[in-house]
Amino acid sequence: MPITTRRRLLVGSAAALALPAFARAQSEAKPRITAISQWSAGSDGAAISALGKLFEERGGVWQHNPVPGFTTEMMNKLRAQIMAGDPPAISQLKGPEIAAWSKIAPTVDISPWVKTAGFADRVPAELAKSCQPGGHWIALPLQVYRINTLFMSTKGMQRAGVTKAPTSWAEFNDTAEKMKAAGMIPLANGGIRYDDGMKFEIALAGISPEVYRRAIMQLDTDALKGKEVLAAFEQLRKFASVMNPNIAAQPWAVNLPAFVKGDMGMVLMGGWAQGNLFKAGATLADFSSGPAPQESGPPCFDLNADCFIFWKPKGADLEAGQKLFAETVMQPSTQEMYSKITGSIPARTDVNLAAEGFTDGQRNSAQNLRDAIAKDRVVLSLGHNMAQPNGMTAAMIDVLTEYVHNSAIPAVEGQKRLVAAVAGAQ
Amino acid sequence: MRTGLTPLAAKQDEGREQGVWRRRFGSILTELAIWLPLSIAAGHVVLFTAWTTWVSFTASSLMPDYTWVGLRNYWAVTRTANFQIAYVNLLIFGFGFVLLTMALGLLLAILLDQRVRGENVLRTIFLYPLAVSFVVTGTVWSWLLNPGLGLQRVVQNLGWQDFRFDWLVQSDKAIYTLIFAGVWQGAGFAMALFLAGLRSVDADLVKAAQIDGAGPWRTYRRVLLPTIWPIFITVFVILLRSAITSFDLVRALTGGGPGISTMLPTLVVYDFMFQRSELGRGSAAAVLMLLSLVVVMAPYGLYVRWQRQRQARA
Repeated sequence: MPITTRRRLLVGSAAALALPAFARAQSEAKPRITAISQWSAGSDGAAISALGKLFEERGGVWQHNPVPGFTTEMMNKLRAQIMAGDPPAISQLKGPEIAAWSKIAPTVDISPWVKTAGFADRVPAELAKSCQPGGHWIALPLQVYRINTLFMSTKGMQRAGVTKAPTSWAEFNDTAEKMKAAGMIPLANGGIRYDDGMKFEIALAGISPEVYRRAIMQLDTDALKGKEVLAAFEQLRKFASVMNPNIAAQPWAVNLPAFVKGDMGMVLMGGWAQGNLFKAGATLADFSSGPAPQESGPPCFDLNADCFIFWKPKGADLEAGQKLFAETVMQPSTQEMYSKITGSIPARTDVNLAAEGFTDGQRNSAQNLRDAIAKDRVVLSLGHNMAQPNGMTAAMIDVLTEYVHNSAIPAVEGQKRLVAAVAGAQ
Repeated sequence: MRTGLTPLAAKQDEGREQGVWRRRFGSILTELAIWLPLSIAAGHVVLFTAWTTWVSFTASSLMPDYTWVGLRNYWAVTRTANFQIAYVNLLIFGFGFVLLTMALGLLLAILLDQRVRGENVLRTIFLYPLAVSFVVTGTVWSWLLNPGLGLQRVVQNLGWQDFRFDWLVQSDKAIYTLIFAGVWQGAGFAMALFLAGLRSVDADLVKAAQIDGAGPWRTYRRVLLPTIWPIFITVFVILLRSAITSFDLVRALTGGGPGISTMLPTLVVYDFMFQRSELGRGSAAAVLMLLSLVVVMAPYGLYVRWQRQRQARA
């Protein structure tokens, strides 16, 4: 038995102390990425894990810190990290928040990498614009969802004797009445505020994408006071009258089992509802999806997208990691893989969705996006913080959610309050 | 002299000296143990209160920005519908919750005070909600009060088809569901304090009252309750404070909804600070909440002081 002398002990512990430093020195060359996002569970969690695995396969070190909850929860973590002078190499961020946050901490100009990949012409212009607030790329879009998507319950349609999905709001209201008469709850909605905001934006985008762009995205007072916005408030009241009356503070997804059974008829929700439906035990035969009703012209595309912003890193390994990550994300195969898991459509419009693993709903949505780009009918989502920064969105949704839950407020009054809220938050 | 001491006495002497040091060290330790955490805690509170107050007068939005803007944030916040609804709700919820909790707590305490059998079991049952956090209370009640799943559904399934109890989803009644859940949770706590008070009353007093021919009602009204009235004030202040700072209950039960009908001041602060990323306005809302606490607590502080002075004079 060897005798443990003091010297041996010293040498041993010194070696033990030096070991991690040695290991660190070795891994310094390895591209590394630190990331935060809100995607911790479900299909979102699975997709980001798959992306991390792909990154590791390409020789990178993947350090992802999910912050579950709403995007704002993730932003609070991001704020804390920026204030501490230690932002992650990349973080999830979207829409006008990219421009707002890029002012408070230095970002990386990734334009050269985007150029090399030939990525810029492949993504919708509205989306590309939000990723280059200072005229150069600092963020990359990962996936796109269509917000104005109508899901129809197959059993629900049979029960109410409905043969096709409605394509105008008048048809939608007729369908809802039929479902009501058949003893069903026509619209499976949630009780959380953004849900009410979404219902309004889907109504307005369906009435006129041009007015939506002026009123919601540019906050043009005349457009906000116009007859289209009033009509959207009236349609929102119709929605409220056919919603699940028993929903309190529960999310919309609690309705899905009833939707699959045919006790509820329709869901107006972004494309991610597909993933939730599969999770609730639905098969492709249980539902169909397509664009929400559109009053005039071909369907518009109410766009929600997830992006990653690139923060100025400390260390060569992180810089190398950012480059590797950007290259990975911009690849069509990565985008394809990601969208297959989450039910979204790729941010690159040239990805072929004919492949197995995509659904007809996703293919329809992707085609819708291409058409809408060609006809300039892409608008950005209000409820999902694409059209306006958080503060403005919240002020508008306050009005909308109050309007939905208080039938004593007439549409004219709702519109007035919306105009006032916009003025107050500016 | 020392040489004259026996070894044993020398040892004792040494021991005594050690004891002095130990005592001295002990007292320093005690001082340290009291003052260090206290000053850290106080510094923490005071510092951050001062900082928040400062931020509330600046143009801070996404990040702190120390450009002075005067009262602009205060005007902006107080003009929002959220804020106005929140303070009306606070009045309804504050009064409803505090008064009902005290009434129910007192009733339970008086009933338990009758030396009923199984008092310990009952007391544990009544106190049990206190062991549950407000988030759990809120979540459980959100299912119980949900018209499609909870009480209404159960009663309707029992045969009473027209039974309606859907306050949770009605904008003008949802605030009262918060009172229900709050009272359910707080009544046991009030009961425990009242019961302790009732038990601490001198038995001779009660006997004297009985000898004078006072019935139970009269004994309580004229002897017991007046004797324990400082406890009323304690319970009142504690409950009021928890009503004003209540956050988790409303967040779990209604989330501020339907619409924005059950907003409370704490939710407004949280909303501005952490959902809208408007640090200046959020801080202004927080300062206003602190002021509303002061408005409530200051009379209590003055009262305590007045009472102490009166006792000193007596």
